[in-house]
Amino acid sequence: MDVRRSDVDSATTPTRQRQSWRNSVRTLNTTTRPLFYSGVLTAPRVSTVRRRSNAHQIDNDVDPNQMALLVKEKWELSRVTPMYNFRYTELKAYSKNLSAFLLEEKQQGTAAAVAGYDKVFAVTFSTISGVAKTKDDAETVFIQINSKPVFAAAGDAPKVVWSGWLTCVRAAPQYLQSLPPEFVCLPVFCSSGAQSLTFLVQSWFERTFDCSFGSLDLSPTDLQWLAAIWTSYHNERKIRSLKLKWTLPSEPPLDVTMAVDGQDAWDLWDSTHQQEDANDIYIEHVKRFLNCIETHFYRHFNIHLSAGVLKRVATEGASVHIDGKVKICPEYLPSTMELLTECAILRMPL
Amino acid sequence: MPQTPEPSVSGGRTDFPDENDSTCSNLSNRSLRIAEKEKKKSEAEAPLSVALTYFSEVKAGTPVLGNDELEGHLVRLERTALAQGLPPHAVSIMLEFAMSLRMTNAITSRVLRFLVPASVVPQEAVLRGVSWLCTQKLSQSNQLLFLRWVLTMFDMIDCKDNLRAIYGFIFSFVTDESMCPFICHLLYLLTIKEHVKAYRVRKLLDIQGKMGRQPYILQLLALYKVFSPEMVPHSVTSRMRTGFRNHDSTWKAPLAALAKRRVGQETPSMDLVLGLRQKPNRKKRKFHHLEVPDLAPAMGPNSRKGVCLQQLRSFSELLDNLSSIELPAQMGSLLSSAMALHYLDCVQDESAFLRLNFWLGHALQEEFFAGPVEGGQESMAEAAHFLSMLVSTQHFLQEGFSATEGFLCKFLEVWDGFLHRPQILELLSNIALVPSSQIKQVLFDPLMQLYFTSSVFFKCSVIECLSSMLRKWLTWHSVCAKEEGLNISLNNRSTMSLSLSGFLDSVLKLVQFVGRLTSAGLQLERCHTLLLHHALGFYEMVSDMYLKYSLPLFVMLPPGVFYPALLAADPIAVDRLGRIMFKYRQNLTHAKEQRLKQKELYLQISRSVYEEFNTYLVTMVGFLWNSVAFGPRSGLAINQRLLERTKVANYSSSFNLVHHPAFVNYAVDFHQQCWPERTDMDLNSIQAGRYWDWYVEYLYTQGFEGLRDFIKVSINPSATRQSTAHPLSQPSQSG
Repeated sequence: MDVRRSDVDSATTPTRQRQSWRNSVRTLNTTTRPLFYSGVLTAPRVSTVRRRSNAHQIDNDVDPNQMALLVKEKWELSRVTPMYNFRYTELKAYSKNLSAFLLEEKQQGTAAAVAGYDKVFAVTFSTISGVAKTKDDAETVFIQINSKPVFAAAGDAPKVVWSGWLTCVRAAPQYLQSLPPEFVCLPVFCSSGAQSLTFLVQSWFERTFDCSFGSLDLSPTDLQWLAAIWTSYHNERKIRSLKLKWTLPSEPPLDVTMAVDGQDAWDLWDSTHQQEDANDIYIEHVKRFLNCIETHFYRHFNIHLSAGVLKRVATEGASVHIDGKVKICPEYLPSTMELLTECAILRMPL
Repeated sequence: MPQTPEPSVSGGRTDFPDENDSTCSNLSNRSLRIAEKEKKKSEAEAPLSVALTYFSEVKAGTPVLGNDELEGHLVRLERTALAQGLPPHAVSIMLEFAMSLRMTNAITSRVLRFLVPASVVPQEAVLRGVSWLCTQKLSQSNQLLFLRWVLTMFDMIDCKDNLRAIYGFIFSFVTDESMCPFICHLLYLLTIKEHVKAYRVRKLLDIQGKMGRQPYILQLLALYKVFSPEMVPHSVTSRMRTGFRNHDSTWKAPLAALAKRRVGQETPSMDLVLGLRQKPNRKKRKFHHLEVPDLAPAMGPNSRKGVCLQQLRSFSELLDNLSSIELPAQMGSLLSSAMALHYLDCVQDESAFLRLNFWLGHALQEEFFAGPVEGGQESMAEAAHFLSMLVSTQHFLQEGFSATEGFLCKFLEVWDGFLHRPQILELLSNIALVPSSQIKQVLFDPLMQLYFTSSVFFKCSVIECLSSMLRKWLTWHSVCAKEEGLNISLNNRSTMSLSLSGFLDSVLKLVQFVGRLTSAGLQLERCHTLLLHHALGFYEMVSDMYLKYSLPLFVMLPPGVFYPALLAADPIAVDRLGRIMFKYRQNLTHAKEQRLKQKELYLQISRSVYEEFNTYLVTMVGFLWNSVAFGPRSGLAINQRLLERTKVANYSSSFNLVHHPAFVNYAVDFHQQCWPERTDMDLNSIQAGRYWDWYVEYLYTQGFEGLRDFIKVSINPSATRQSTAHPLSQPSQSG
């Protein structure tokens, strides 16, 4: 530290070059990893196999009240770069800060010198334990924004206007370990509520923890994974029907929704793989599963569904849309979140 | 009419008023005219100040109808106000003029309508306006207009303390029925806790009783209730949804136009300015990733220890406080000003750089890879501006960011060669050393595809970019590697070692790639001069790698570049080729000596390098000096028929410095100087005896220094012209 200070005003060249060399070497990598993940952080890889977690375990891990919060809403997904200096011990301070920020932003332009317009926002930060599965994952953080009018009568309950949560489930451990310890990686952000509030909450996070939010776009393959995973849980949670929606690129675009009976879907899924692989789901099985469904459709209607894009997968308890909207039920929570975490990390800029 | 005093130059004129009456009057007229001309000139220069002076000094009772001066000033002020807004002192003067009703109500109304401030409204002006309001001289419509004006420009009033001090006076207007809504709104904006008094509440309730439950009164009462709930009766609960209405319709359009004009004034440039760059008020894009965040201090318990960057105003302050500056909340904000960049240069914290790279990578990813492009020209201009800023930042810091490199790797695969070309190529030349195992896939393949499918100018840009990249790698090596040795372990977490051979490998691959690109390019573009010169520039750097950058790597230029340069129609190309050959010879000789002296044993120069050099040397000397051209040993096989078509007799023995197409005009010049009396040109006579030497000297004087250096070392001057060149002997391969 001292050396640097003295060097600065005299000869800056040696220090700067040393530092710049260090920066340059940081990008040099003698292994065969692609330069994009240039030695700063280890590159994540796409999984070809996923482990099915035991569904009963979920009930023990997460508190039912908190689980109720997670499954109630339809969530919009975003991805977040790792947050700097996020401390679980400071959640109360963050709540106060965020509510003050929201108030300030809402008030801009009304030029009132009073603390509160006609509504007051109360923010609560809390953690939900049990969602994160491995020791490297960070704990899930749940944020809820209540609002109550200023002149509310005593009996008025605060209304929940917005809720959201940040989570990380079974992220690639090499990636997490390559991050410096000051960073907390919670790459999936789910939000439900007014768009303006989502925007404000994201701005607050960006300003406080130096992270960036982007949209988490899913690919049809991800939806296929989810369809297969949810079907594979048929024994734990019976699905009545598996609804799939494709959009075909005709003029005008044609939407095809197909509902497969739950038992049939399970039988089909069972037939795609051997019994001993019951706990591992392979990409080939998923492809085979979807292929069978598409061929069946073709046989009846002479339309190749594979030419279109799979846009939506839904059962009674859960649904996912390719634009990044998801609703989940407790049994599907871990595996769905694991897939979403992997998607988010794959799209990280570094 | 009193006589105007005459200029003192004509001293004695006053003594004889009779004789010099005309001259006197002429002089006085002239002085009047001069004064008027100067006044007109100053008026043209500062019409605003003239107008303002007029309005501050005009007396009440001045006629309005037919007053051209007044009309002219008003028009000028109106134009300025609507175009760029009035400065604060102008606002005060005009407001004073309007509210004091020195001229008619119509004029006051007109002035108030164009009174658009450019930046701030001084509160004294508003104060005086309110005091004029109290005199009740203005017409009612003008009173309302003034109140509406205050409400519209409320945010621009610089300080509201004095206005709060006269709260009571403003409150007294609340009884007036027509002014009530506006006064209530104004009071709503100005109220603080001290203003809530019981008698005021009572008065408002009275008015409410008379006029009914008007929303504006209710709002004000609700506000009072927030401050002192005990004073306001419970029946006033604000269940209403509506706030105050907006009354800014008159000024909406000019204010909007002014705001828009302020946005459009940002010009993207690639240079930095010291001090905070002004961020224009961009309309909120859906994805605001390209905005550099504001400098803000980090929050948290251990902040506030140090100095925030925002507080520093000059470079010396930065130097004084360097050890106590704390990192901002968002690292991206350090890209906003040159001073912050100076600070960034000194930051050594790895997580800080990781934060910066995350933000930068995210911004680039969102802009170029996510979703369809919205907006057309505007978003393109913003992206270009952002990239230019990135280029200048990297240029300032003299190194690239890893986020940029990652982005470029992905972007090159999908780039069409047109989008933001200068910035992308500039960023590309900044990337750090690419390991040789990945260089082909990451860099060469995409570039090759673009290179061969584009115009010659793109080819030149690519060659220039790659030359720049090589120069930066070589400079980095020659400066840094010397200091720290070549095997470095960064820290405990990750060990990365850079070996000399790894570096050499990458550089070798790059040089070979550029060699292939230039040869093929020159063939495709029929030896285009610009491309040839770019190639020669590259090889000027390559030829000097050992002596200038201490890199023991020797790569000869490919025949695809050598022969077009040798036979070029442009003498500068031949000259540059001479310099390149001279540098090669210097480097190789020096390396050979070092090796012989056992100083640098790792220098292994392969035999083929010497062979290649010698071939080139012999060819070049043959072509230029010995008139041994197009022979079998020249390395260039040209069809006999083609040579016969040139209709040159003895083509194989007549090509030399005199007959070279590039130097023909010099030969002609020389011939004319030597034998001015001769009418027919016989260039062969230059080749005889001493004329040749003089001719060569003459060429030197024309600035062909490369050629001179080459000839001096390669050719033995004392021997006859048929002597062969001095090829380099290969050192004995030891061990």
